[in-house]
Amino acid sequence: MSLDAAKLEALFTPPAVAERPCVIRAVDVKKIYKMGDLETHALRGATVDIYKGEYLSIMGPSGSGKTTLFNMIGGLSKPTSGKVYIDQVDVAQLDHMELAWLRCRKIGYIFQSYHLIQVMTCLENVILPMSFAGMESEEARDKGVFLLKLVGLGDRALHKPTELSGGQQQRVAIARALANSPEIVLADEPTANLDSITGEEIIELLYRLKDELGVTIISATHDLKMLQRSDRICWISDGRIEKMAQPSEIDFTSNEFH
Amino acid sequence: MIKSQIKLPISVAFSVSFQGIKVRFARSVVTVTGVMLGIAFLMSILTGQVIKRGVAQEEELRSEVRRMLNFLAAEMGPVRGRTIGVVRNGPLSLQESRLLRRLSEGQPEALRVAVIDESENLRLPDKAERVPLSEVGSNANAVIVMGDADTQALDLRELTAGARYPMVCFTRQQHTIQPAENVRTVKLEREIPEDEVYRRIEQAGMERTRGIWIVVISLLVTVIGITNSMLMSVTERFREIGTMKCLGALSSFIRQLFLIESSLIGLVGAFLGAVVGMVFSFFAYWLTYQWLVFQAVNVGLLAIFFVASLVVGVILAVLAAIYPAKFASNMLPAHALRSTI
Repeated sequence: MSLDAAKLEALFTPPAVAERPCVIRAVDVKKIYKMGDLETHALRGATVDIYKGEYLSIMGPSGSGKTTLFNMIGGLSKPTSGKVYIDQVDVAQLDHMELAWLRCRKIGYIFQSYHLIQVMTCLENVILPMSFAGMESEEARDKGVFLLKLVGLGDRALHKPTELSGGQQQRVAIARALANSPEIVLADEPTANLDSITGEEIIELLYRLKDELGVTIISATHDLKMLQRSDRICWISDGRIEKMAQPSEIDFTSNEFH
Repeated sequence: MIKSQIKLPISVAFSVSFQGIKVRFARSVVTVTGVMLGIAFLMSILTGQVIKRGVAQEEELRSEVRRMLNFLAAEMGPVRGRTIGVVRNGPLSLQESRLLRRLSEGQPEALRVAVIDESENLRLPDKAERVPLSEVGSNANAVIVMGDADTQALDLRELTAGARYPMVCFTRQQHTIQPAENVRTVKLEREIPEDEVYRRIEQAGMERTRGIWIVVISLLVTVIGITNSMLMSVTERFREIGTMKCLGALSSFIRQLFLIESSLIGLVGAFLGAVVGMVFSFFAYWLTYQWLVFQAVNVGLLAIFFVASLVVGVILAVLAAIYPAKFASNMLPAHALRSTI
């Protein structure tokens, strides 16, 4: 029996990869918080595709559902309806082990209010996710020191978070987010509490991560500089995504930004 | 294959939770104090029960021995300067050995002890001398028969051979006497009337019920005290638990962390509490009974209660910490982070 050479060829050729694989896809995500009889619609059906290696900024007034969207696409919370896919996998299908793995290895979180563990030193805070990932303690310590140096806090490694300023704490949180070399960094207002120079350094750092390592950066922000550097801007208002735009299409001098 | 990649060595869990205690030292001290107070209360009640029972038994024993001695003295005059023969017929009761000791302390001229039953290891008081059965009665003012064994076979004439005064005393009511001519027999133990026996049983029952009741109440107080302080110390760390979840900690790891921490706190608190409660209870009873307290107490029972309250302390501390920790670690991280308890 002779085989069709062309078909055989096709069988062993991997399917063509889409040029920009979708890392996170949120489909019609809704979230309703119930407080007694009162229902709060934090998200009213958000659909968004986030591509690998892109720098996406989410902006919107406070209470618009930014943080909720954030928690949904980061796997920190479950949507009331709709689906979230991270790397083509439906987050709702994952068991707690796999979710922990996802949070540990795949995603680095940076929170608006830092969420550092107050009783640990900066270095221990950075090392903690590496311990969860099972890294050798010495290797983890070296990497922790390196990361703290990277964010400019090499000399504060053994300080407690409470002994640091807000900006410094945010930088520790960034170092912690990078601990397990994540593919996705989720940042909630990372520059909000920083002075403009440190802010720019942080933006530069995130940009380099994206540029050189292909890390996907998703950040909620009002920072003009950050918006200007991002690849796409996602406008969210009252639980809905209003528009998606490239920075070049937006007039940053308009009143909305001041 | 994924599962093996999320792990945390137990040593790391230990160091993290140990550090947690060290860093939150003031908080840990408060929590330990909470556990300590609970267990101290429980232990002081338990120790009080042991002391009270011991003292009551001791006092009854003493009065009974005193009564026996008085009875004996009524028959033969004071112990001092007399010669007394003792037949040790089988193992002695507490009361009988105490009587023997008191006899030797009473400065008799001689205390001769003949041992019929050698099966048991016996310690005689300093004054006593061992003699064969045939010599126990020589020169004696009285011969006392003690012990568990049957007295039916004893020949009273033989026992009082060569005695100054032929008298045989029996220490128990249930001893049967084979009467002999010219030998006076006396029973030293008081005959307890039937209604008193009933009253005693009734009283013991009431005492027991009251004891159980007070222990149950103190156990409840302990449970509530410990649970409260452990709950407080865990719920104020919900955000920390949420943060750890975001960093990829497994629920089991968080539970492990709190298990180690709470059992350490529980152990330290329960130990301190048990010691404090015991010392306090001893001191309180010492004020009324003085040194009798230490002589009367049942050390074995006290040790059992000590260990039991340690176990109760640790178990309660662990349960009270693990439950909220489990609750928090099963929450979605976003909820745990938002919680403002």
